[in-house]
Amino acid sequence: MEEMLRMEHISKRFGSFYANKDVNLTVNRGEVLTILGENGAGKSTLMNILIGLYQPTEGKIFFKGKEERIDSPSQAVKLGIGMVHQHFMLVEAMTVFENIILGDKRSKGVFIDREARRREILELSERYGLDVELDKLITEIAVGAQQRVEILKALYHGAELLILDEPSAALTDIEAEGLFAIMHKLVDEGKSIIFISHKMREVLHISDRITILRAGEVVTTVKCSETDGQKLANLMIGRELSSSQYEKKQAGGQPVLKLDGVRYHEQSKHNGLAGITMEVRPGEIVGIAGVDGNGQTQLAQVITGVIAPEKGTLSLKGKQVSVFDPSDFIENNVSHVPEDRNLQGLVGDMSISDNLVLKATGSGRFSKGRGLLLRPKAIRSHALELAGEYDIRCTSVDQDVRSLSGGNQQKVILARELESGPELLVAVHPTRGLDIGATRFVHDQMIEARDKGVGILLISADFDEILEMSDRILVIFEGQIMGEYSGQNPPIQEISLAMTGK
Amino acid sequence: MEKLKRSLTGFLVPVLSILLAFVIGAIIMACLGANPFAAMAALFQGAFGTVASVGTTLNRASPLIFTALCACFAYKCGVFNLGGEGQFLIGATAAFCAVHLSGAKGIGGILLALLVGIAAGGLWGMIPGILKITRGLNEMIISIMLNYVATLFMGVIYTSWIRDANTPQTPSVDDTLKLSRVIPGMRFTWALIIALGVGLLLYYFLYWTSPGFKLRAVGLNMTASRFNGFPVNRYILMSFLISGAIAGLGGASDLLGTQFRLINGYGSGYGFDGVAMALIGQLHPIATIIVAIFFAALRVGATSMQVATGVPTSVSDIIQALVIVFSVAGMALTKLPEFEAFRLRVSGKKEKEGK
Repeated sequence: MEEMLRMEHISKRFGSFYANKDVNLTVNRGEVLTILGENGAGKSTLMNILIGLYQPTEGKIFFKGKEERIDSPSQAVKLGIGMVHQHFMLVEAMTVFENIILGDKRSKGVFIDREARRREILELSERYGLDVELDKLITEIAVGAQQRVEILKALYHGAELLILDEPSAALTDIEAEGLFAIMHKLVDEGKSIIFISHKMREVLHISDRITILRAGEVVTTVKCSETDGQKLANLMIGRELSSSQYEKKQAGGQPVLKLDGVRYHEQSKHNGLAGITMEVRPGEIVGIAGVDGNGQTQLAQVITGVIAPEKGTLSLKGKQVSVFDPSDFIENNVSHVPEDRNLQGLVGDMSISDNLVLKATGSGRFSKGRGLLLRPKAIRSHALELAGEYDIRCTSVDQDVRSLSGGNQQKVILARELESGPELLVAVHPTRGLDIGATRFVHDQMIEARDKGVGILLISADFDEILEMSDRILVIFEGQIMGEYSGQNPPIQEISLAMTGK
Repeated sequence: MEKLKRSLTGFLVPVLSILLAFVIGAIIMACLGANPFAAMAALFQGAFGTVASVGTTLNRASPLIFTALCACFAYKCGVFNLGGEGQFLIGATAAFCAVHLSGAKGIGGILLALLVGIAAGGLWGMIPGILKITRGLNEMIISIMLNYVATLFMGVIYTSWIRDANTPQTPSVDDTLKLSRVIPGMRFTWALIIALGVGLLLYYFLYWTSPGFKLRAVGLNMTASRFNGFPVNRYILMSFLISGAIAGLGGASDLLGTQFRLINGYGSGYGFDGVAMALIGQLHPIATIIVAIFFAALRVGATSMQVATGVPTSVSDIIQALVIVFSVAGMALTKLPEFEAFRLRVSGKKEKEGK
């Protein structure tokens, strides 16, 4: 079989961190190679190297037998490597035709020979069954059609190796079937495809071979016909259960939070909820495990009142909620460590002390006469106290919170949210981007809150964090709960398979 | 300490901008063949030289303070009210119509005019606010467009409905309605006192109350404010309402204090001047007032400068424009991470030297 691409000993280092280490992989002509790995396993870095956005620290790339240096995306296009990104790169206000010929270097002079280009595109679209309407605006066509435009665009620019990054993420089932048919046609015609996906069913359905990445390194490459979902999930997660340093608890009592059949934008699998039923009891940590973008954002926002579910009910402490507004949830002692701390949690241009009292300026402690006159001294001493207690490292509590490191910003949020006396804490990716010390601190604080009787919902794409912290584990996939597992000796293999939708 | 450092930067930028603008102004004056020092001296002499001229400067500053505070308040909530001029004129127009049609006189008439001005300006300011939060329309465009509507509406009043005989202007308001001077011999009236009062009130509200704190938070990060349970839309609407009401009050008090009648060209440019002053004043109400007085001084002094040295008044306009350009650029500069690094390096050095 003819070899299309070979990557040899590719390493990419950022500072002291290896995003990719000694990666070897080959793609043959006319095959689909799937790259499988958890979030942060190094898939994106590897693909960015391949399309010239990053330069590898070490290693060689051979394309069609020749060693190549790919130092820019246009160089990659010139070689015949095309990528369809998960989030499409189309100009919405332009037509399909204009998007496809965008960046075309074949036109000589100022004018574009539209008729010739058109014929060429139509020929390609017929050959691969990529049916698109050339004169429609991008905004007027469906997501599936936009993807076909992206593929057509890559082919038009001469791609022989196509990289499809989670191509089915935005598609409906029927559209996904259409995509697989196109992929078959492409490899039949001698193109090669690198396919990136988390969905086991699709991976097994479409791949010829599968390369598994873990922590930046290739674990192994297997033939699709010689493996199954469980084997792949084990290889991908690849870990033994290390005993958690925290004691796991079983909680009883009336649930602080109860969701029953909650639905929100159900048709959008990756940004919707398709009937979630679950509960959180006081004094337990419920972990929501799952690959990013399976409805976690929406789940957190429903539970904190930022968005309202379309169907289903939500009860706090046994009382059904009818109005979805964050202030009502805050009044019901729901605390929120949001996904994006800078955008959603903090006011970056205000000081640490102001951010620590953000929700409480109307209280008698921080102002006289129901907020008519603030007490700056009380606000400041409160901040000094919390800065000590939560180890917020700063030169002064009057410093803008924007100037703090991510870990210290997260401590500001955590201090504010835990000091308000929550009964339910919703923490979304609470340690994302934090160093080990800060992570440990955040975890300790959450466990301490749990032991005081706070019900905690931990939503995280970091599987280790879920295993470490959770008393109960729920797996979310495409807006649905795939299963519930005990946090005490959790069945890792089963959970990791559930995370991929099986 | 940190707070002090921050306000120092906030103070230095406008001051340096002003100095730089004056240096360039001086170069222009020299190119025109005048002695820049004599011209500058004449300018300041004209604005602050005598008790009377200080009064004139303060009187000129009064309407500017209102429109500047109007812009300042909306900016603090993160929305751009460029309709200060329209709200000012609607306030003046409505106040005039109210006293003219009702025939109210004396202190009662004054109160009526001011209240009607506040209400009219507030409602006029609410229009872009309502359209923004219900329909997502751009408040800048709507508020600018409403300036034209207000100007033309005032035109209908003084050319058709309440015209003073054959001239395109309204009759003057009744003498008993005119705001009196606070200090005899100085031209400024109670309108200035009202303006200063509004400024102090805004300062208290924004920095010393819980709703003001939340309003500033909304202005700095709407998403985080929503996630933290603040009624963001209500704050936005409130900021438009109050911002418009300030301008409307300005219009009414300027009508009774200085202008007395509606006439072609009245209020032109006040809105945008206000926006510029609020920006130079770093959106701080007190600083904004000082900037407004400074701009009024440049305008009052320009005439004396022309008379004394022959330097045209337009040089003063150039200086005003340069102050705006430099301070906006300066503020953008201080937001750059490179600047922050530089500042840390400099202050770090100082600390070492101190040891």
